[in-house]
Amino acid sequence: MEMVVVAPPAPGRLEDLRRRFLATPLQALLSLVSLAVMVFLAWKLLNWAVFAAVFTTSGGPVACQAAAGACWSVIAARWRIILFGLYPFEEQWRSALACVSVVVMTVLSCIPAFWTGRRIALVWGAGASLYYVLMKGGVLGLPYVGEEAWGGLALTLFIFVTTCLIGFPLAICLALLRRSDLPWISRTTGLIIDGVRSLPLISILFTFAIVLPFALPQWLQGDKLYRVILGSALFFSAYQAEIVRGGMQGVPSGQEEAAMALGMSYWQRISRIVLPQAMRNALPATINQFVVAFKETSLVVIVGFFEILASGNAAYGTGDWRFAYVEVYAFIALIYFVFVFSLSRYGAYLERRMAVGER
Amino acid sequence: MVSLLRNQKVRNALLQVLYVGSLAGMVLACVMIARRNLAEQGITSGFDFLFKSTGWDVNFSLLPATANDPYWWYFLIGIVNTLFLGSTGLILATIVGTIVGLARTSSNELARLLGRTYVDIFRNIPLILQVFFWYAVITHLPTPRAAHEAFGILLSSRGLYVPIPNVGGVAFAAAAIALIAAIALPVWLGRTSRLNQPVGERLGIQLTGAAAALACAVVILAVGRLPDLALLDFPALQGLNIKGGLRIPPEFSALAVAIAIYGGSYIAEIVRGGFKAVGKGQMEAAQSLGLSPWRVFTLVRLPLALRAMLPILANQYVWLMKATTMGIAVGFTDFFMIVALTINHSGQTLEAIGILMAGFLAINLSLAAVFNRINKAIALKGNQLRG
Amino acid sequence: MNSTLPSGPAVRIEGLDKYYGSFHALRKINLSVERGEKIVICGPSGSGKSTLIRCVNRLEQHNGGRITVLGTELNDDVGNIDGIRREVGMVFQHFNLFPHMTVLENCMIAPMIVRKRPRAEAETTARRFLEKVRIPEQAMKFPGQLSGGQQQRVAIARALCMQPQIMLFDEPTSALDPEMIAEVLDVMVTLASEGMTMICVTHEMGFARRAADRVIFMDGGEIVEQAPPEEFFTSSRNERTRQFLSQVLGH
Repeated sequence: MEMVVVAPPAPGRLEDLRRRFLATPLQALLSLVSLAVMVFLAWKLLNWAVFAAVFTTSGGPVACQAAAGACWSVIAARWRIILFGLYPFEEQWRSALACVSVVVMTVLSCIPAFWTGRRIALVWGAGASLYYVLMKGGVLGLPYVGEEAWGGLALTLFIFVTTCLIGFPLAICLALLRRSDLPWISRTTGLIIDGVRSLPLISILFTFAIVLPFALPQWLQGDKLYRVILGSALFFSAYQAEIVRGGMQGVPSGQEEAAMALGMSYWQRISRIVLPQAMRNALPATINQFVVAFKETSLVVIVGFFEILASGNAAYGTGDWRFAYVEVYAFIALIYFVFVFSLSRYGAYLERRMAVGER
Repeated sequence: MVSLLRNQKVRNALLQVLYVGSLAGMVLACVMIARRNLAEQGITSGFDFLFKSTGWDVNFSLLPATANDPYWWYFLIGIVNTLFLGSTGLILATIVGTIVGLARTSSNELARLLGRTYVDIFRNIPLILQVFFWYAVITHLPTPRAAHEAFGILLSSRGLYVPIPNVGGVAFAAAAIALIAAIALPVWLGRTSRLNQPVGERLGIQLTGAAAALACAVVILAVGRLPDLALLDFPALQGLNIKGGLRIPPEFSALAVAIAIYGGSYIAEIVRGGFKAVGKGQMEAAQSLGLSPWRVFTLVRLPLALRAMLPILANQYVWLMKATTMGIAVGFTDFFMIVALTINHSGQTLEAIGILMAGFLAINLSLAAVFNRINKAIALKGNQLRG
Repeated sequence: MNSTLPSGPAVRIEGLDKYYGSFHALRKINLSVERGEKIVICGPSGSGKSTLIRCVNRLEQHNGGRITVLGTELNDDVGNIDGIRREVGMVFQHFNLFPHMTVLENCMIAPMIVRKRPRAEAETTARRFLEKVRIPEQAMKFPGQLSGGQQQRVAIARALCMQPQIMLFDEPTSALDPEMIAEVLDVMVTLASEGMTMICVTHEMGFARRAADRVIFMDGGEIVEQAPPEEFFTSSRNERTRQFLSQVLGH
């Protein structure tokens, strides 16, 4: 504090650096240790990932094992299995296009111009149907490919999108039911939400995938994939419902009263007055919930789906690439990282923007 | 009829009955169908199976376990395993999170950058991927014959082997409790309401308490020591495998490490948020009283930050406990995996799912109760900080 | 309900009781408001005046007695409630404009979705009433960009766009800075002069003098006294009324 007072008006660059990093002996030590750790890690990582790494597939696994660094040849050799799973080889362009459609859809829904209930529903509905048609085929001259052959990144994205697509409206319903004036409805819904929230997602996925067939009549069982998606959507909606409810609590009660006084019906009040404001309040938390949901799609590997993690396990688990697990996991981690990091950065940006807007 | 439907009271009652009724009906129908389906497979519903022996083994247990043990004992093993893994992960994650969180709030830009990089990387990679990764790393370690060794600890693809004292189970447990007491006692005594002595004398009493508890632990270990064996049992290579010592299996280590790293990145953010919540005015007031930086930190900044972060931290801990269910991905017999195995082997699907839900409800509720108590105990009286 | 107006008073309240838990907020209120009549209700805070007018469009549910609005009884019949709310406009203390819509949209939404008017017609009506409350130039702004007085005038326009037969004002000037009170009161006086049926809860005694047909004083959930303004201000009989008046007019 005092230093600022005695400081000359325009300190030189060196002086500035000194003050920022070496102000006291303790600061200097901290700077040095941090710098050392950073340089060491960065060097190790670069050396492993770039300088000493093998990139070509020409030498095969044998050339890799001799190298000191990463063996990226495994990715070059197995990227198709990681991204597309067991999808038929000559149809994999469809899988790739489907992934692109999901990415485009996500990017579109981050643009404020699309933030009305109708437009966002349109974008997601169109994106999901495009994905479905591309993946499943059977129309427009595309050969049919059943769900059991879907895999890799494409399956991960499908599970994520359908989870949100089902879970989001469900969350709004649950939130509305929970804040209902009718005690039995709100209490029962509260019980459901809290019950789901107290369980781990894996146990819900397991229940839906393996236990539910016992408890449903034959005609209701459906494919295991869709049961699991339903379970994951239920879990998502239980958390998202509380976020939406929090957003609704942030809308002053006078808003609903004014709408009532104008003669609007319950649904008109909710859809025109309460929800638009509540969703705005809940936006940062909602994006965070999407991030969590995307990460959690990886759990379906446990109930036996061939999503990106399982296909990664298969990519290094068979044949001669057994040693190259680090590279495969790094590749998958990178894919997750790109999706999750950009989404969460976007969420943080929105939060900042809204905080400024409220002033 | 139409006018009756337009009546608000009738409508409300009807809606409630319909909603609750249809939900209850759905659940009931599911249970009935499930019971019929299970009965067709020759499985009688009911909880009698709890007392039958399982006929399968668990690969990790803190309690003695054989395939002859009944199911209820296995469920208990599962809960203990979950709690053990959960609390290990929780402690490790808290340590990691505190360090990274402090780095993120540090006044040093480089340290902040380092902390931020850590959080950005590990928060954005799914936990289960990290579990798989660490499991692969550990199982790809050298075989026991070429194990890494340091301070009597052996590290190999079979797991981590650490020396343990040669004592009976009861004595070991008692000593562990005494050790915990040695740490907890000074903290408990340190709370101002317990002791009336001035600060200087208080320290002596605290140290005496800790020393007494430590002495207790040593005595218990000495008494409970198994005859004719060295005090410490060191792991050593015998033939193709490692014998002796305590084996920490790769499944457990992989989970604990992954939870510590992933959970740590979340806790770091909570720690940072907690420190950010401490008002500048409070710190400036402390500084203007002439307190040393260390005192400002321990007397003002830390206590206030702790209060701000505790409620969020409690949620995070509950989440960590639930994250132990990833054990099934690498074959660690946590509570959930025991339930899954039970369903596989005995077919008692509904009962097992019921036990699963009850178990997690109990874990959640008791954790919540503990944290509520702590929260209440340390909450600031009145609302002077909220203004 | 629109075209053929049933005869009789605009609002008739008979033996109205309202409880909040065990608190008796309104005690056996009897009140009749004729068509075109302007009523000002005043009284100390907690006297039940806001509760009373909120019962008229069922923002509060009454526990006993009868409320008849424009010939329709306000009971558990959902259709009646909807019908009455369409014909009764309300202006709130805190404006309660919809912050996510422009001023124009605020005025258009209810006619469009409740009265099912086409967009063009709703917009014409909205602009006409914005003109009337003297802020046509603010139509495309958001409520947060307006001053308190402007917001309250928008709120009045919004209520008027539904072309109600009765207007309720719940302390419309209490949340305003003193220099903005006049602009809102002017609008209300104009409205009164055009023959709108109005029930206003307000402490603005100047307004009561200029526009009201009858002033009602409430205390402890009861109507203590009611009289035409001249009589009310000069020769009120009740001790509580005189005490209240001296407090409101005293400074």
